[in-house]
Amino acid sequence: MKKRARSVLVSYLVSGPSLLLIALIVVFPIIYTFFISLTNMSVYHWFDFTLIGLDNYWRALFVFDSGFLSALLATVLWTAVNMAIQLVAAFLLASALNVKKLRLRKLYKTLLMFPWAMPGYVSILLWKTGVFNSEFGLLNQWMEALGRETMRWLSTDASAFVCCTVVNLWLALPFMIMIMDGALQSIDSSYYESAILDGASWLERTRYITLPSIRPIIAPAVIITVFTTFKQFDVVYLLTQQMGARTGSNFHTILTYAYENAFVTNNYGYSSAISIIIFVLMLIFSARFKLGGEAER
Amino acid sequence: MKKKTRERLGLAALNIFFIALCFVTLIPILYALSVSFSGTNSLLSSDFSFIPEDFTLANYVEVFTGEDIMTWFANSILLAAATVLISLAVSVPAAYCFSRRRFPGRRLVLRWLVLLNSFPAILSMFAVYRLLQPLGLVNHRLGLIIVYTGTMAVFSLWNMKGYFDTIPVDIEEAARMDGATDLQVVTRIVMPLAKPSVVVTALMVLIYVWNEYIYATTFMTGEENYTLAAGLYALQATEMSGSWPVFAAASIVVSLPVLIIFFLCQKHMTSGLTAGGVKG
Repeated sequence: MKKRARSVLVSYLVSGPSLLLIALIVVFPIIYTFFISLTNMSVYHWFDFTLIGLDNYWRALFVFDSGFLSALLATVLWTAVNMAIQLVAAFLLASALNVKKLRLRKLYKTLLMFPWAMPGYVSILLWKTGVFNSEFGLLNQWMEALGRETMRWLSTDASAFVCCTVVNLWLALPFMIMIMDGALQSIDSSYYESAILDGASWLERTRYITLPSIRPIIAPAVIITVFTTFKQFDVVYLLTQQMGARTGSNFHTILTYAYENAFVTNNYGYSSAISIIIFVLMLIFSARFKLGGEAER
Repeated sequence: MKKKTRERLGLAALNIFFIALCFVTLIPILYALSVSFSGTNSLLSSDFSFIPEDFTLANYVEVFTGEDIMTWFANSILLAAATVLISLAVSVPAAYCFSRRRFPGRRLVLRWLVLLNSFPAILSMFAVYRLLQPLGLVNHRLGLIIVYTGTMAVFSLWNMKGYFDTIPVDIEEAARMDGATDLQVVTRIVMPLAKPSVVVTALMVLIYVWNEYIYATTFMTGEENYTLAAGLYALQATEMSGSWPVFAAASIVVSLPVLIIFFLCQKHMTSGLTAGGVKG
């Protein structure tokens, strides 16, 4: 009996430092964020804040002008558009890469991996200055060469949304292509051979053989990508919402919206309420897709 | 015969398509590369090409001799090294413990860690700030190191625990039969076997610290305390128009180590990212 107690104690001691760090940097800040969300803490009430109950939640969820609901809507739209294009494009490209006699396959794959390999923030800044910048960006240089009028690409909501989507796809497609490629290669080629003998067309083969076979393989990666797209911050923030360098677009994902309320307008209580709402949304998603439960054997 | 020519044409078209696609994909990088080598600030020249006009290394010389950038570089190295060391020191034992030992609360902790990890780090930044400020850790390197280690701790724990799970317990038991102590089992048998996973985890932590800019700019004031990522971010935010070629050169220099690491262990990266469902 005593030995058992000692073994448990050793386990706690050995994993203690790691769990302590996690408690300090991950767990406690979440609890503290929840506490702040119940107060009116802001730049004017840094120390003398008071508890105001659920007012911040009320403002976020039921006052449409507050901007949270429209940011949430934009984020859902953003996630849907990005995932749809990403899945279709990655599937088509991966299929093309798997055409039998394509000899330079390896070279293409390596080159297409570059956007994934680059540090994300560097790529986004290169896109911002190298491509979209209104003075020396490539797009405007090409517009000039074609005799068209130059544009400020990131200044309106719609064009900022399109530009962000392009950059996000550029960043995210390599990972998805890789996953699809791996999944496609795992399909037994004898299925196709017999399907061709039966006279099935490409569409039929795709629908009845390819898609059902790759679905379970790509599912975890797709779910993870939905999460990262929903949580996207860097692309939108760096392209359009940088502090002191706003481009004029009001396109926000919920994360840039929460960030703006915390660090630009310094409305800490309200921003914390939004953070907690986002967290609850994530937890609901996670429960829906059984993340975490499944991973533990 | 006809079928064969059709096939060949199709293949040629496919090759052309992929060559074009690769080129289009690489345009932002190629353009930055070209600008970084060009002497004239390309915003002045109207005709555009991917081959630099006045080939020069001046921008790179400026990157490597500019005092700021070298300070940032040193800061990044220091932070990254400290974070990786502390991360491994706390995560390896914990991961091994969670993989091999059974104790009350184990399952609960493992499950909750994944859920809590879905809370985006950016959203807790303000709470972390208010938490560390009274401790005097804001605007202090130690503060950033603690934040980075804590942020990556869940990933490190899960990633290495997953790998330890795949190492058969029989090997350890056999060693124990031969009279090895617990410590010997871990240092002589388990650690050598777990090396790939430890290396990948260390690299992921390294890359995270190398690329992190938002905590670094929020928690540190004064450019002399910036990391490379924070410095690069500040460089483009303030004096962009004048220093675009230097910025391009700095971007290439900063990306190079990450690119090398990525392509050296591409296989491990993908499995390390997808297994366990935790993305770093």
